[in-house]
Amino acid sequence: MLILRSLDRLGPMHGYGIAVHIQQMSESVLQVEEGSLYPALQRMLIKGWVKAEWGQTENNRRARYYKLTPAGRKQLTEEVSEFTRVMEAITRVIEPA
Amino acid sequence: MEGPGELWRRLLFLLGRGRFNREMEVEMRFHLESRAERNRAEGMDGDEANYAARRRFGNAPLLEEKSREAWGWSALDHLAQDVKFAVRSLGRNPFFVVVVVLTLAFGIGVNTAIFSAVNVLLLNPYPFPQPERILSVDARHISGKNSNTGYRDFLDWQQQNSVFDAMAISPETGGYTLTGQGEPQRMTGGATTADFLRVLGVQPVVGRFFTADEDKPGAAPVAVLTYATWRQRFNGDAAVVGRTMTLNGQAFTVIGVLPRGFAYPGIETCAFFTALGESSSNSRNQHQYGVVARLKAGVTVEQAQSDMNTIAQRLEREFPATNTGWGVKVQPTGAALAAETGRLVWVLFAAVGFVLLLACVNVSGLLLARASGRTKEIAIRSSLGAGRGRIVRQMLTETVLLSLSGGGVGILLAVWLMKVLRAAAPQELALDATLHLNSAVLAFTVAVSLLTGIAAGLAPAWSASGAEPNSILKEDGNSWSRARSRNRLMAWLVAGEVALSVILMAGAGLLVKSFALALDVDTGLRVEHVLTFALNLPGAKYSSDSGVSTFYRDLLERLKNSPGVEAAAGVMTLPMTGGVTGGAFQVEGRAKAPDWVDTLVQYNASTPGYFGTMGIPILRGRDFNEQDNEAGLPVAIVNDALARQYFPNEDPIRHRYRDDPAYGGQWRTIVGVAANIQHQQPTKPPMPGVYLPHAQWPANSMWITVRGRGDAAQLAETARTAVRGLDGDLPLLKIRTMREVVGDSLAESRLAASLLSGFAVFALLLAAIGIYGIVDYSVRQRRREMGIRMALGATYGDVVALVVRKGALPAVAGVVVGVPLALAGAGVIRAMLYGTSPRDLTVFLGVPALLLVVALGASYLPARRAAKVDSMAALRCE
Repeated sequence: MLILRSLDRLGPMHGYGIAVHIQQMSESVLQVEEGSLYPALQRMLIKGWVKAEWGQTENNRRARYYKLTPAGRKQLTEEVSEFTRVMEAITRVIEPA
Repeated sequence: MEGPGELWRRLLFLLGRGRFNREMEVEMRFHLESRAERNRAEGMDGDEANYAARRRFGNAPLLEEKSREAWGWSALDHLAQDVKFAVRSLGRNPFFVVVVVLTLAFGIGVNTAIFSAVNVLLLNPYPFPQPERILSVDARHISGKNSNTGYRDFLDWQQQNSVFDAMAISPETGGYTLTGQGEPQRMTGGATTADFLRVLGVQPVVGRFFTADEDKPGAAPVAVLTYATWRQRFNGDAAVVGRTMTLNGQAFTVIGVLPRGFAYPGIETCAFFTALGESSSNSRNQHQYGVVARLKAGVTVEQAQSDMNTIAQRLEREFPATNTGWGVKVQPTGAALAAETGRLVWVLFAAVGFVLLLACVNVSGLLLARASGRTKEIAIRSSLGAGRGRIVRQMLTETVLLSLSGGGVGILLAVWLMKVLRAAAPQELALDATLHLNSAVLAFTVAVSLLTGIAAGLAPAWSASGAEPNSILKEDGNSWSRARSRNRLMAWLVAGEVALSVILMAGAGLLVKSFALALDVDTGLRVEHVLTFALNLPGAKYSSDSGVSTFYRDLLERLKNSPGVEAAAGVMTLPMTGGVTGGAFQVEGRAKAPDWVDTLVQYNASTPGYFGTMGIPILRGRDFNEQDNEAGLPVAIVNDALARQYFPNEDPIRHRYRDDPAYGGQWRTIVGVAANIQHQQPTKPPMPGVYLPHAQWPANSMWITVRGRGDAAQLAETARTAVRGLDGDLPLLKIRTMREVVGDSLAESRLAASLLSGFAVFALLLAAIGIYGIVDYSVRQRRREMGIRMALGATYGDVVALVVRKGALPAVAGVVVGVPLALAGAGVIRAMLYGTSPRDLTVFLGVPALLLVVALGASYLPARRAAKVDSMAALRCE
């Protein structure tokens, strides 16, 4: 969901960009092995949520850019609403009455 | 995403794997370098920046592999890897490979061969459409004594039933002499009724089958050829219809050709089929035909049975004199056949199952010993990150590779064994046409090979893969506890092997013993120096009884005067050839039995001198002589069994009895009592029987028996010359010595006994190898221990005893488990035994004793080696 959201906000990005973005947005609360992005991206490629294209970075290096597809966007909406629903439920449970 | 699209994607991925890997690597390197740059920008120095980037990224190769796995087919990847590795690893150990492959080849080979028999005989008995609809319909007397049907009853069944599409008489096979095409040739033909092909559900490939009109007495003779006869005799000429064949001196018009592969138990030797041409005025009393029928669609066997019951009851009411007590039994033909041979085939199938199990156990043992030499290799692999499942899979790949090779070699063995089975099996089973390697048999072989590989490899692989890599690599050798657990597993395997061997060997022992007893049984005949052959005088040329009698009298005269011949005589039914003519027997002055089948005795006819030629003693009275001819007083000789049954307290000589009405109902005077002989199989009890003089009851076909002074087989030329001197067109049939005739009658038990003893020898060999293997292995494990013991003063004998116990204990355990199982198994083959109890003491003491001796021998060899260990060398080497 985080990957999809990042791509949704910033448009096509390479793997490193996604990692940096997630880290910044979560203000370093979410520390994951950055490498585990790649198997996840591959799985999304197979499911058709993202598309990949090789491109040039600002400093002229070759990198693979991932782009959200309409199917990915739909998936994101679903996941976000599901997540929100669960979060609200949890919040209701843990908040003092 | 599942489905063909997915498959396609995976396939594409498999092909583009190299590119995928490169791209993945570029992408990850870019990530690492970018991160490192950023780290440097934040003030780290070069190496530290790279290192931090890497730490942050995680295990790159693993992540790369995980990405790959997302795309699927790593399993195939692994398999290819495993196979490559297995081939390399096995290649280092060719001797081990040969032993394992040969063991498995034997196990799989015999299973394939016996399965092909099971497949043919029990699973797929007929090459016809819907063979399960083909039923046999048998007359069944309440006494259970006869199962053949009279022709008139057959006609009534055929007309009155509403459950069968078609009904026909099973072909009556008979010998025909084909003349007019070069040398006179002997052929077998089958006489049947018009609907026979409709019952089987096949169509002629050329021409047609005969019609009901052509199946009447006096109709012009027609013949339908089998495919093979058509190809061989008429070169497959499509214009064969209308040509004639001269059979037994009579011209038959060819009207059709049957399809290829037309085989049916009992008629597979037939070269052609003709119309039975039976007269419908035939007596209902002559129960002589087998009937087959094809069930209508949607009708069950039970419904057919009940319809036929109704008809049989109606016939009983209409014809009380002949049909009282006669019912009908409808049953599947496959089942009828299976009942006869099924037990033998199942016993053999069970036996080969045991053989395969044994081979599995043995291979497991070998693999276990081999795994002990690989503990370090496996420990290294597992410390490099291979999971237990991955290691088990790798080792199973090896065993499956071995078992598939074993299966490949096994098929060669199976093909050879099938040839043996085809030659040895009774002809009625029609194995010639059907017992071949086919797709079902091949599928069975492949499945069995795979299963065998997995079964044999699982235990060793599991045990080997459970190693704790740390301790193994540190200890520089086997950890004691692991070796112990492996030893225990091996001991279990040996015990299992011995138990299986006990079962197989006991079964084989019982069968071999009964076979030997059956061969030794006193048949009442002196079979040495006797040659036999059959003649069948063609009816067209020898049409009168006196002509037949004269021919045989002249022939026997010639034979008796030939050099090297002591005696010669003729008999209608030769002992041990199966065919027996039955008929009623009614003593003069006694009440007629209510049912003729209750007085069923064997009828035979012989020429003067038959009893002397075959060495059958005349107990009272006299043999036939030349005066017992057409003009003489009707006489008969009875056998001892008949004398005891019908004349328990008096001398049968000079009593009169009446022949079966079907044979003319002649009143005859008994002039002699002959000793009993075994007429069917040596293992069946003698039946009451009468002999009539051949001159008073002539038949065109006869067996000639010739007693000589030397080797019986050398009389064949003498016999040929004598026959040719009288009739150059007459072929001599079934020339065999009497000893061969007796032996052939036991073909089935010989087959069972020889196959099972082959399996038993194999079992013994495997058990010996298995025990030797485990003891040798444990000795090598305990070299140091032995060295210490010897250094501390243990004697040679102490060490030998210690080691031998290692092999002997599991063997004893195996015997203890195996004997009760073998006793249970013996109960199953009880019916196949003759003169041998299923609890036979010699077998059940001898087999365990033999196995224990072999176990001791197999343990002694490595024990001796252990005891010769130089204690200093053993201690130093570790």
